[in-house]
Amino acid sequence: MVQTNNLTFKYNNKEAVFQFPNITLQEQESLLILGKSGIGKTTLLHLLAGLLQPTSGSVVIDELDINALSHSQLDNFRGQNIGLVFQKSHAITSLSVYDNLKARLFFSKKNINRTEIDILLEQLDLTNTKYSTINELSEGQLQRLGIAMAVIHGPKIILADEPTSSLDNENCSIVMHLLQQQAQKNKANLIVITHDARITSSFKNVLTL
Amino acid sequence: MNNWIISIKNLLHKPLYAFLSIFSLSISVGLLLGIQQLDTSIQNQFTNTLGNIEMVVGAKGSPLQLVLSSVLHIDNPTGNVKYSEVEKLKKNPLIKKAVPISYGDNFKGYRIVGSTLEFAKIYDAQLLKGKEVENSMEVVLGNNVAQKLNLEIGDTFISSHGLTENAIEEHKQSFKVVGIYKPTYKVIDKLIVTNLSSIWDVHHHEEEEEEEVHEAHEHPTQKHEDKEVTSILVSFRNPMGLMTMPRNINVNSNMQAALPKYELDRLFRFTGVGVKAISWIAYIILLISCITIFISLYKMVKERSFDLALMRTYGASNFQLFRIIAFEGIVIVFISLFFGFLFAQLGLYFIVTLFKSQFQQDIILTYSIKQMLNNILIVILIAMVSILFAIFPLLKMNISKILSDEK
Repeated sequence: MVQTNNLTFKYNNKEAVFQFPNITLQEQESLLILGKSGIGKTTLLHLLAGLLQPTSGSVVIDELDINALSHSQLDNFRGQNIGLVFQKSHAITSLSVYDNLKARLFFSKKNINRTEIDILLEQLDLTNTKYSTINELSEGQLQRLGIAMAVIHGPKIILADEPTSSLDNENCSIVMHLLQQQAQKNKANLIVITHDARITSSFKNVLTL
Repeated sequence: MNNWIISIKNLLHKPLYAFLSIFSLSISVGLLLGIQQLDTSIQNQFTNTLGNIEMVVGAKGSPLQLVLSSVLHIDNPTGNVKYSEVEKLKKNPLIKKAVPISYGDNFKGYRIVGSTLEFAKIYDAQLLKGKEVENSMEVVLGNNVAQKLNLEIGDTFISSHGLTENAIEEHKQSFKVVGIYKPTYKVIDKLIVTNLSSIWDVHHHEEEEEEEVHEAHEHPTQKHEDKEVTSILVSFRNPMGLMTMPRNINVNSNMQAALPKYELDRLFRFTGVGVKAISWIAYIILLISCITIFISLYKMVKERSFDLALMRTYGASNFQLFRIIAFEGIVIVFISLFFGFLFAQLGLYFIVTLFKSQFQQDIILTYSIKQMLNNILIVILIAMVSILFAIFPLLKMNISKILSDEK
């Protein structure tokens, strides 16, 4: 369960204060957050991921106020329970696809066997690139790897930041399908923030900022 | 997967940076360790060669030349002194031993030194085979000489005049090998040792021929007092001798007394300037290589800030990122220490080989563990400081901003 209470955030060098509506998501529920550029979508996502500390208010995940956690506890919590997908996918450039997934598990302190990694790679059509370096991947492969990195450790929440903004219609629906499929498989909440109205129909819950 | 593997893969991802850092640090470590080990080894070797020789008495001239020629056998003698002076010195109550040596001939570049049986004792030389010299024209070979010239007991050879190999000024009489010393790693290893009579006999014969004197040889019965030796190696009964005798000889005789320890200290002070200069160059290279490590790690932190921010989203703590980057620096430092040590040993091997071929003298490479540890600690310390400076930006890393900017 994900719940936010009276979340506000102010950047040090800016006057404006972002005020966010409360969010409550039950287990396995998904949410699409729509909004124009500069409205604070990414800020909200980073608050939900614990990457930013709110000026006021709180983020509660599974009855745990993540803002009350110490830095190391928050790192641990984030590593084990949250998966992040970015508009432009990234991975650790010095590692291969397979090593990236192993590194992800290492940082999350989770252990899954080689077969499960192979199954995930197959689901995301990345089997042939298992030992490729990041620079050898196409944009589409990189995007799918980003999803794999976000779900490999079985997170409780998948947070996606503009995952489809730069994609054509076909790839947009492929990525959304994969995200929802993986969220369902992991029984995780999926929260997508975007200004891309094409994906509105994929969600029951839509919040406009 | 662990932090070390990630660090090593990061290093391999930028092999040129890693190579440059390792190469420059290895060179400075090699220079530092090599030059100091060489300096220590040569000083030990020279000091070891002194044995218990506290004073050398010879003809007037440069005292350093006298020591280099009569103790280390790497220079020309200053001249000769009367053998009667040996007897006088022996009778002095302050003197424990006065060992005369006479040289001026060589066989294939190896010096032939005429002396008494006491000479071998100065260097604790023991016979490997054969016997000590008993008669004129018999020799015992230093171990290096026997090995290099492939001479055995019973072999004979003809010596040449002078201290360098030549076939023009050969003497007429031949020497016979009667013994070979065990290796001592001291100067005696490169000498051909005979008695004083042999040296006198060789030269007396030739003087006779030159003067065309056809009278019967009288040298066997000639008294030693009329003869000359090159120098006298002296050890004292007590420190009083060391304090008074050299000045006494230098002021009141036509000979000079040189103190080997003092002269070698002086020599080391001269060569020490070179050692210090090379050490400073090594320290400067060390500093440059640590700056290279700093730049490459700092650049890595900056260039891969998104990678590092990603690792934070994966659950890595700030401290874990610190360790991953620090491990990269540590891997560079330890590989450099290994290669630096290897460079030093290779360099020393070539220098020792060169020294042996130039001066026919083995140098035993000795380590000063304390000095080596000091150097290694300095290298590690400076490298660690540069690593810390490089990873400092991690403290101020704003993950949210990096992730937003890269979006």
